[in-house]
Amino acid sequence: MKDCPIAPVRLCDLEEGCAARFHEASLDSEARDLLRALGLTPSSVVRLCKRGEPCIVQVRATRIGLSKLVAGQIYVIPESRETA
Amino acid sequence: MAVSHARRVSRVALIGNPNTGKTTMFNRLCGVRAKTSNFPGTTTTMRVGQHLRGDGFGWDVVDLPGLYGLGFDGPEVRIVREILHGDGAHDSTDALIVIVDATNLSRNLILVGELLLSGKPMVIALNMTDLAARRGVTIDADALADRLGVDVIPVVASKGIGVPALSDAVERIANAQQTRTPKPPPVSQAEDLGNWADEVLTSAGGRPNDNSSDPFTERLDRFLTHPIFGTLVFLLVMGGLFWTLFALANYPMDFIEATFAYLGKLATTYLPRGPIADLLANGIIGGIAGTVVFLPQICLLFFLISLLEDTGYLARAAFVNDRFFRRFGLPGHAFVPMLTAHACALPGIMSTRLIPSRRDRIVTILVAPFISCSARLPVYVLLTGLLFASRPALAGVAFASCYLLGAAAAFGSAWLFGRTVFRGTPRQMVLELPTYKRPSIRTALLTAKDQGLAFIQTAGTVIVAICIVMWWLSAYPRSAPAPQAEVLRAQGQVAQADAVQAQVQQSNSVIGRVGRVVEPVFRPLGYDWQLSVGLMTSFLAREVFVSTMTVLAGDQGDPSADPGVRQRIRTMTRDDGTLVFSRATCASALVFFVLAMQCLPTLAVTRRETGALKYAVLQLTYMSSVAWIAAFLVFQGLRLAGVS
Repeated sequence: MKDCPIAPVRLCDLEEGCAARFHEASLDSEARDLLRALGLTPSSVVRLCKRGEPCIVQVRATRIGLSKLVAGQIYVIPESRETA
Repeated sequence: MAVSHARRVSRVALIGNPNTGKTTMFNRLCGVRAKTSNFPGTTTTMRVGQHLRGDGFGWDVVDLPGLYGLGFDGPEVRIVREILHGDGAHDSTDALIVIVDATNLSRNLILVGELLLSGKPMVIALNMTDLAARRGVTIDADALADRLGVDVIPVVASKGIGVPALSDAVERIANAQQTRTPKPPPVSQAEDLGNWADEVLTSAGGRPNDNSSDPFTERLDRFLTHPIFGTLVFLLVMGGLFWTLFALANYPMDFIEATFAYLGKLATTYLPRGPIADLLANGIIGGIAGTVVFLPQICLLFFLISLLEDTGYLARAAFVNDRFFRRFGLPGHAFVPMLTAHACALPGIMSTRLIPSRRDRIVTILVAPFISCSARLPVYVLLTGLLFASRPALAGVAFASCYLLGAAAAFGSAWLFGRTVFRGTPRQMVLELPTYKRPSIRTALLTAKDQGLAFIQTAGTVIVAICIVMWWLSAYPRSAPAPQAEVLRAQGQVAQADAVQAQVQQSNSVIGRVGRVVEPVFRPLGYDWQLSVGLMTSFLAREVFVSTMTVLAGDQGDPSADPGVRQRIRTMTRDDGTLVFSRATCASALVFFVLAMQCLPTLAVTRRETGALKYAVLQLTYMSSVAWIAAFLVFQGLRLAGVS
């Protein structure tokens, strides 16, 4: 198992498979509202499933395709790396 | 026993997040007893059906658009809000069936909270409980019902499991026999509703922050969203889709053409010669045939799109195309409208509602009609056949090139718009990727049926009306018998005499005279008054071009089926005796039809979807200008190269 950093990092910089808690986002209101409706609420757990442009993240049970720019404006606090 | 005067429910709305199985549940409840129409005063599609119970009672079911929350802006959400509050032109509903995804409950409960606050009586259908169980997610439906104060019925919509119990729960509302009192959340702000949803889920035995994934979806996504493999799969899927479309739709299309040709023949054989037989054979039967012939392709395309959407693949196709589309100023979301526009620009434009940003939506609406729709097919068949009469392989290449030219024009125009009138970059992707599922054939069949009927109702009525008006304009005023026709008739050459007389009739008719007035506009493209008439009539609907040229060529058959008629079109002459369809003219006309906005219903939908006439005017002006310039360059270029 590989260690993940613990300071807030950009979601796009997370390692693939790494889980993290949502910290904050500097997005426009439209994108923020949509992400919130998709389950990205304070302290919710986010997992980066696929890196790249665009990337795939999982919030709760929802998989979301995100452009790297959006993922770069979301800050998360890494928790653990998926071992499965 | 229920008595009718005690009933409180006659209209129930199905509501839920996207990808929760709402449409599947609608089809389970209503079967074929459903029709598609628009919400009053909008182009947003509404499906209304009837649910009939074994006890003789039942209610109307309205399938509302899928939405993530009531706070979003957009036509669909506005309609849902108006229906919930009984505002506007929409009929209110008496109760709600809220479909929630058991595998993703915490997110779905946020919408449930908003709906509880609306005060509408409701039943919750806890869908996909089988999938949830396979993933180890167990929800205590009774505990959830107690916590929310409304009935919660576990269902598997795709298999019909739990549907009778759901119907009974609605019936309890109808008879005022609910045993629970709704408990709306004490908060209404979106972020607070998220916390409330987590608490509710916990009380029902769920795990709010469980982000364990579906291993099958995870594995498949590694492949299908891969930049290289994903693109290869996308190309294969699209290739397979279009191959299926053309290979399978041909049989019913041939059958429809043959049937209507036979009916037209019957009309001309058994009815006395004159305006009535002419109107019936050319105006009405011809007009209906020209519309119905596209039905197999449209139904088949919607069937296949529904299957792909149901599996969850369409969202992946949008995902892998995002980078490519973005280079031209379009978002990955634009993939679905572009795909749908291959059948018809009307549903293609309507499906742009999936695109969140208004700028992106308008750019997609403006360029989608460049995509070659099924109405262009008969025109392509006719013109490529005329262009390469004895070389079918080259005709095939020209045919495929038309599709590529249309797509190139769409992307090129999007790029241009992004650097001029619609400056800016497309909205960054935030796209839900639903879990992969086995598609429902039943849902796909019902979607194909609904879309086919909608096409017949909207485009069909317009096209038939146009054909009848065009017939009248080309049939009147009646011309006196032409001397040349009389000579041929006296020699026993009746068919040739009829052809000559028909040409004289067209030339002197209202449309013939108008054709001569507009001819100077199209002369630089190589068109005479007859071709100009063909272009004018096809402005209302492209496929009318073929029937117009058939009439102008002096015959009433189907040129794509009858080589004799095609030969007569090929040998049509101008007033100076030269051929109407020289090779340069054919190529020019082909390019014109690929690029021109020759479809009045599309302009009407553009106006309604964008909410502004200026965008329809821009679309018409831009596409017509591009088509004219490109056709001019092709014709003049070929002429300079010595191709006549």
